[in-house]
Amino acid sequence: MSPAGNHRWAALPWLLIAPSLIMAIGVIGYPFYEIIRLAVSDVSRFGQIRGFNGWDNFARVASDPIFVDALVRTLVWTITVVGGTILLSIPVALVLREDFWGRGLARTIIMLPWSIALSMAAIVWLWAFNADYGMINATLRQWGILAAPLQWMARPETAFPVEVGIGIIVSIPFTVTILLGGLSSIPGDLYEAARIDGARPWQSFLYMTLPMLGPFLNIAIVLNIIHVFNSFSIIWVMTQGGPDNRTHILVTYLYELSFYLGRPGPAAVVSLVVLAIVFSATAAYMWLRERDA
Amino acid sequence: MRYGLKWLAGACTALALALPAQAETVRMTVSYYSAATGPYFEKMAADFHAANPSIDVKIEVVNWANLLQKLQTDISGGTNADLSIIGTRWLLDFVKDGIAEPLDPMMAPGFKERFIGPFLKPGQIGGKTYGLPVAASARAMFYNKAMLTKAGFPDGPKTWDDVVAAAEKIKADGGNGYGLMAKGTEVDVYFYYALWTHGGDVLDANQKAIFNSPAGVKALALYKSMLDRGLTEPAPTNYTRDELQNLFKQGRLGMMISGPFLMNQITKEAPTLDYGIIPVPVATRPATYAVTDSIVMFANSKVKPAAMKWLDFLFTPGPRIAFTKGEGFLPTTTEEAKDPAFTENARLKVFVSLLPNAQFAPTVTGWEDTAKAVTDAVQSVYLGTATPEAALNAAAAKANQSLGK
Amino acid sequence: MKRPLRSALSWAVLSPLILTTLLPFAVMISTALKPHEEVLAYPPTWFPRRIAWENFAEMWTSVGFGQAAYNSVLIAVASTLLALLIAVPAAYAMSRLDMRGKAAYRQFLLITQMLSPILLVLGLFRMAASIPFADGTLADTRTGVIIVYATYHLAFAIWMLASYFTTIPGELEEAAWIDGATRAQAVTRVFLPLALPAIAVTGIVTFVASWNEFTVALTLLRDPSRLTLPLKVVNLVAGRYSVEWNQVMAATLLATLPVAIVFTLLQRYLVTGLTLGAVK
Repeated sequence: MSPAGNHRWAALPWLLIAPSLIMAIGVIGYPFYEIIRLAVSDVSRFGQIRGFNGWDNFARVASDPIFVDALVRTLVWTITVVGGTILLSIPVALVLREDFWGRGLARTIIMLPWSIALSMAAIVWLWAFNADYGMINATLRQWGILAAPLQWMARPETAFPVEVGIGIIVSIPFTVTILLGGLSSIPGDLYEAARIDGARPWQSFLYMTLPMLGPFLNIAIVLNIIHVFNSFSIIWVMTQGGPDNRTHILVTYLYELSFYLGRPGPAAVVSLVVLAIVFSATAAYMWLRERDA
Repeated sequence: MRYGLKWLAGACTALALALPAQAETVRMTVSYYSAATGPYFEKMAADFHAANPSIDVKIEVVNWANLLQKLQTDISGGTNADLSIIGTRWLLDFVKDGIAEPLDPMMAPGFKERFIGPFLKPGQIGGKTYGLPVAASARAMFYNKAMLTKAGFPDGPKTWDDVVAAAEKIKADGGNGYGLMAKGTEVDVYFYYALWTHGGDVLDANQKAIFNSPAGVKALALYKSMLDRGLTEPAPTNYTRDELQNLFKQGRLGMMISGPFLMNQITKEAPTLDYGIIPVPVATRPATYAVTDSIVMFANSKVKPAAMKWLDFLFTPGPRIAFTKGEGFLPTTTEEAKDPAFTENARLKVFVSLLPNAQFAPTVTGWEDTAKAVTDAVQSVYLGTATPEAALNAAAAKANQSLGK
Repeated sequence: MKRPLRSALSWAVLSPLILTTLLPFAVMISTALKPHEEVLAYPPTWFPRRIAWENFAEMWTSVGFGQAAYNSVLIAVASTLLALLIAVPAAYAMSRLDMRGKAAYRQFLLITQMLSPILLVLGLFRMAASIPFADGTLADTRTGVIIVYATYHLAFAIWMLASYFTTIPGELEEAAWIDGATRAQAVTRVFLPLALPAIAVTGIVTFVASWNEFTVALTLLRDPSRLTLPLKVVNLVAGRYSVEWNQVMAATLLATLPVAIVFTLLQRYLVTGLTLGAVK
């Protein structure tokens, strides 16, 4: 079938996608090339390329203990934030699918974090967790849970979990939205039939809901991994990777390297490492899914 | 052909010079010191324009937190302003990359002599002047008079032993004794106060790290023991200098070390606070930290004469006094230092009197890495993950990888 | 389960998350209404003794809120429109036309998502600074930011739109062809009206992403009169010796409110729209 007065024109699809290709290659490809160039160059604090220096930047980064720590922490960060987000979003989406009083309001509230810019949300949370003037300590003390103000951001043992928690909160809206859509695509009479066949709720969840949510979970996981891995604002605004570098993830460390320590070359190397990891993680995940499918 | 072009360019330049009052725009990047910074420079630019209608000065105010990123991206993209305020410690990189223009050939006779020698010196590299000191400060100890009087030191602590003794009394009354900062910029400097006054030094003559000397270990151990005994505010890793200053302004902190700008803040925000200023406490020798920020001119500026004219104006007594007073810095030119605002301010005089013993950040590559390594070391000691000796040794090894390279 | 019981249970299950979600908003409102002398009061209280509406007026002038909001709206609208203009035809090609290399194109889009701006900031600036524009370069122009945002939105937009487009039955267009319409006519008269909800939802998501973006704007913009809201608000906090928290919170509140309202109004459509085609 083809439209009247219009022959199949093989170039048409390419013409239609050409603008997007050109733009993506230009705006993302060229800076990417620049990053590779910086990674193999001796670059001054102010971005002047002084010359080619091969693998020096790579060696410098590889032997940097802060980098290794940040790499490990990035994995912890990504796994806990994405894992926590998914684990929380599934039950929340299941509840929000139910018909109950005030469901619209509940959905709206849970979507709210989406409407604050991440940088601003981090500022608000930082203020809320302020040891002296923050409302979290004040409220906890009022309720008698804390005797003295807790110095949340003073120690990585408390600061990092707080950051993970905020990372989860801000990732939930998007994830729940995707999952809600996935749930709405499951016909209701399927559940009815299962119930008549004597399936328990957990059984119908495990054998029906989860498999049918599969593709939606996939999308949510892949997009969240990419996003959380590169999530910069929360940690940068709240602790800047400190104290003692013990809340750094790779993107905050690369920012500090580049713009505070004045080492654009090694910073570019970290950029490439982040990219390689995100790329292989996504590829591995997709490959696993395809093999299972 | 090339000669032809060159000739043409030369002719055009000559023509441009011959043409009367062709408007020129001088762009200047200014770092944010306080809410008064932007308005001050805007006003100066307007005053200057009134006297020199052919020159427009455009001011861009940037927060310190973003200044290095802005300079870095601007310079690498070739979109930098004509002038910029920078931390003088960055100057060496500017000069190495050929980004900064030596100012000596453009200076009017007697211009260089306007400056107070020690403040101009960090802006000079290889005998040439690249940076003009726009802001200078030294550090001294601020103490809360009511708290310290109650603790038995009405004139403030003279030695570190005094600090410990006073802090113990303050602690017994339920207050915070000595403010330790371990977050944000200058964590390293806060340790150097103790290091220097214990007789130690950051670098030796060969620009190698020696802050891990016995004096350094002793200094950091002193801070750590004060923290462990509850003689400081809880959790220094949660306090930047600004947050300590907030505690001090609220009368909840007995002692801290800071710069003259804190006086301006107290006048504005806590006018009833009774406080004193004394030299940094001593263990074996007096010392303090002095620091300048400089204005540099970019080598790729196309309006150098106009930019120099503007600089000349900025460093006349009128504009200088307004700036230094408004921001709470130390005078950097001899004429402004004669102003009663400075000579009759007893508190400010304390800072000036400390200058003979002041240590400046050395102009050496890797200073930023050293600061980072020391900051990390201090934090790890406060967090209890390393001993002072181990942490400082590791930091020295790390700093030596970058120093002088 | 009876509805009242189910309602109580649902709210009970959701309450920890709902409280946590609302907490920052409560903090924002509480601090935004506190007079200067109460902000750093110790210990702090939720309710100010006096409601300080003047914070908003002071913040409006000290931040230059009006100009910043205008910049944010302009950049977000323009980048959304640009992204849609390029994404809709591409998504149409992906979902309706035979082409070789479709899978490769899809992978390419995913990769562009991974090259997040934070990894490329220096490169992005160097690029913008090397492209002549007006009497300078693309650096420090709103146009530059618009182009970069639009590009970063492309992958998501094409992806969303293409999967939604495949759910629109092709028979409708084929029927139009039979009636003698050209492909272009069939697209504009039959296909586009049906695709409108998906385009709208995609537009909202990209709009919000632009509205909230920080890193690219921080890198590219300089001139104070061109800064966006997130930059202005972060500037109030970063590297300042004394942070006026009540003004910061007032600015955050005011910057968040419009988006929050849009979300509240469109929440239902967002769920259906986003997911009708999120995967397929």
